[in-house]
Amino acid sequence: MYLVVATPSTLGLFAGPILPADPGRFLLIEKFVLAALILTSAGLFWKRFGIVVDKIFKSRRDPGFHLSPVGKRIWDFFWEVLCQAKVIRERPLPGLAHAFVFWSFLAFALVTLNHIATGFGIPMLAPNGLSRYIPLFADFYFLFAALFAIACVVSIAGLFIRRFVVRPVWLSRVGHELSWESGVIAGLIFALMATYLASFFVADGSLAARLLWWSHTLSLLVFLPLVPHTKHLHLILSPVTIFLSRGSFSQIPPLAGDEDFGLVTGKDLTQLVSLQAYSCVECGRCTEHCPAANTGKILNPKEVILGVRGYLNEYGPVGSSAEELLLGKYNSQEAAFQCTTCGACEFQCPVGIEHVPIIVGLRRGAVNTGAWEDDYGTKLFLAMERNSNALGLSASERDKFIQKQELPIFDGTQEYCLWLGCMGGYDPKGREIISSFVEVMRYLGTSYGVLRKEKCTGDPARRLGNDLVFQQLAESNLEAMTQQKVKKIISICPHCVRTIQEDWKEFGTPPEIEHHSEFLARHQTQLPHQKTEEKIAYHDPCYLGRYRNVYDQPRSVISSAGTLVEAERSRERSFCCGAGGGLAFLGEEHGQRVSSVRAQELVATGATTIGAACPFCNTMFRDALASQGDNSPRLLDIAQIAAMQLPKPDAKPQA
Amino acid sequence: MKIIVAIKQVPERDARIRIDAQGKWIDLQDVEFTMNESDAYALEEALQLKEAHGGEVIVLSAGPERVGRTIREALAKGADRAIHIESADETALSDFDALGIARLLAAAVKDEQADLILTGLQSDDLGLGQTGVIMAELLGLPHATLILKIEKTDTGIKVLRELEDGWFQHLALPTPAVLTIQSGNSKLRYATLMGIKKAKTKEVRIVSVADLQASNPDLAPRPVVVLEKIILPHKQRTTQILGGTPGEAAAALVEKLQFEVRAI
Repeated sequence: MYLVVATPSTLGLFAGPILPADPGRFLLIEKFVLAALILTSAGLFWKRFGIVVDKIFKSRRDPGFHLSPVGKRIWDFFWEVLCQAKVIRERPLPGLAHAFVFWSFLAFALVTLNHIATGFGIPMLAPNGLSRYIPLFADFYFLFAALFAIACVVSIAGLFIRRFVVRPVWLSRVGHELSWESGVIAGLIFALMATYLASFFVADGSLAARLLWWSHTLSLLVFLPLVPHTKHLHLILSPVTIFLSRGSFSQIPPLAGDEDFGLVTGKDLTQLVSLQAYSCVECGRCTEHCPAANTGKILNPKEVILGVRGYLNEYGPVGSSAEELLLGKYNSQEAAFQCTTCGACEFQCPVGIEHVPIIVGLRRGAVNTGAWEDDYGTKLFLAMERNSNALGLSASERDKFIQKQELPIFDGTQEYCLWLGCMGGYDPKGREIISSFVEVMRYLGTSYGVLRKEKCTGDPARRLGNDLVFQQLAESNLEAMTQQKVKKIISICPHCVRTIQEDWKEFGTPPEIEHHSEFLARHQTQLPHQKTEEKIAYHDPCYLGRYRNVYDQPRSVISSAGTLVEAERSRERSFCCGAGGGLAFLGEEHGQRVSSVRAQELVATGATTIGAACPFCNTMFRDALASQGDNSPRLLDIAQIAAMQLPKPDAKPQA
Repeated sequence: MKIIVAIKQVPERDARIRIDAQGKWIDLQDVEFTMNESDAYALEEALQLKEAHGGEVIVLSAGPERVGRTIREALAKGADRAIHIESADETALSDFDALGIARLLAAAVKDEQADLILTGLQSDDLGLGQTGVIMAELLGLPHATLILKIEKTDTGIKVLRELEDGWFQHLALPTPAVLTIQSGNSKLRYATLMGIKKAKTKEVRIVSVADLQASNPDLAPRPVVVLEKIILPHKQRTTQILGGTPGEAAAALVEKLQFEVRAI
């Protein structure tokens, strides 16, 4: 029927007002049939949708959730829902096709209303309807909708071909057949648009017009109850999900009361978690970008969300059957602990699902109740309990480093408190980064000092779900900072930055903190530059990029020293190094190592230097590059790249 | 099984140690405290026995109020209740030697009728290794030291005891008995949020030293061992060059690693 539109012989269009054919006057019996069908359709719709709504509302309220700032929510709704910006940006061609289907639906709201009203003999858009008040409104609107209908027909056909012929792996589900319902839905959308368009080409009051009207109506009434029974539920839920996000990226909610240990059983599922679980459209963008799923782990973020949905369907959020563990039939503990919390899934998700808080929530449930037994994990937690650092080393090792480097002790008079972190204080490579950064600060004459005693920020415990260790470390650090009158912190570790700035808020008011890349970028003009032709590839750390939106600052440091080259996946799409979420401490991975996959990507840029901005990425790549052989590029932190260009006052004159 | 675990709170291993003004003990200001390591393993053994055979684990500790934190930690890891022999202040227990402390501990638990009393092999601070065995003597119970493994049998328990030089001894004991536990054989568990929350509702019976002494004058400190003076160890680094042919040097190195450093 779409072809009909393009055929010149049918262009009787221009003869008079361009309107869909009037289906004529409806018999009383037709009106009764129509009413009965509408009631049946709505009833079937509610039969399923009512259950979903009930499950969402019966879920626990979200602790710490507040609607403000509403402005940001309205903007997100406008940008991500109405403009479909994220859908288009991250997958341009299918994204645009999707956007046209969506916009057509919006455009069709009025057409559909008019269509049904016509059936009852009260057409609103008829010449004696709205156009009486707004001249030519109907003429304009029907054409306007027709343009969208054309775009929609093309788009839905394209999407159909993509799903059933091209078949990208992300759209599939493990152990599931090709989604037949998507085909049916695509067919119905196609039918809706085609019947509408066709009605422009038939005579008013003809049998054809009447039949087209009924076909359109039936398509609509079959479509409606299918929505809540399939993933097309996202049509209704995802605008709400996007509007009701937790507020910021990967925000881990506070625990409420003495009985909250994270996501243990159904009663712990919150309204937002349930809403998000039912919003999933199964597009697989999360899985496509997941470092675990891409390296042969069992974790698949899409399946985690659908696992929660499966749980809700079978056990629900309340009642005796909701005593079942969430990490059981529908989700596995092993998968939950393979997540690096890189946030690629959450960043990609077009329907507003916040995967990281859910995965961390499942881990909290397992760790806070002691259900997670892992030799490495236990060792890490005990090290953090006893030594207050993730590496399990004696605090005297840090003291020795401070003495050796003659780092001034923070006494409240300096501008910056230089936070060493576990890596900066104990790890040999991390110490090199600190030393280089200190050189830069000394050159700039920045006043800084390090804390005499420092405990881990609690990041690995936080992401692995150990709230006890995290709380103890956060509280004791916050107390020390207040005592020492720390106002501004600077850190070389994006994990420390994130945890101090965002996660500590649960227990107090953390001082201002920034990452050294931000400091270095701000002081670019005051630093000497010796730009070379060297190709330097920059790796975006997850906790600096997606978590903090810092992309350009480290690049400006690199550009000052050489030619910046980009890896295949960079910026918002950067691929994790494999260390986040406490995984750096959890022993050998299944499948390929995330770090070596990423290191190969960085090597493939042809760069002779890899620029990192996180000591964890650094340590992961150090090991991964070691296995690349002698020709592997050198690995430097941006602090080292900045320090390299400083004049060497005590360098011996070259012979 | 009813198991009592005697636990000591000691300065953290990497605490910065300073000698106090009297030169008789370390300055406890700014020192962070933790559970004595081998006591943590004793607790783990007790918890595993309870998990396998049911029963109750009771934590026993003596010291000032601060000891309460370590007791809570033990309760959080799964102990059922605790007895805290509380001293009035930081120095109140310093007049007691191992014998005196063991008397207090024994007095506090003599009515419990426990099947087993476990404690660490020795404390990380004083390292005397006496408290457990003296308790056994005071309570008139059989005891075994340096225990790595405990197995319940129909008549009592079977234990694995570490001897010198890679030798082990299998022993059968009747219950009740006192065992001192060697570190490192089992895997310690981590404390959980749920454990800590539950620990809040668990019973901690506080028995003051003064009350114990009032009912039993024998419990007054009558030290037979008195700390006269403590000094920080003098650190020195020495380097030994192992000479000879590479073969001889390697053999000498292996011998030193095996018998001097005992690293292999």
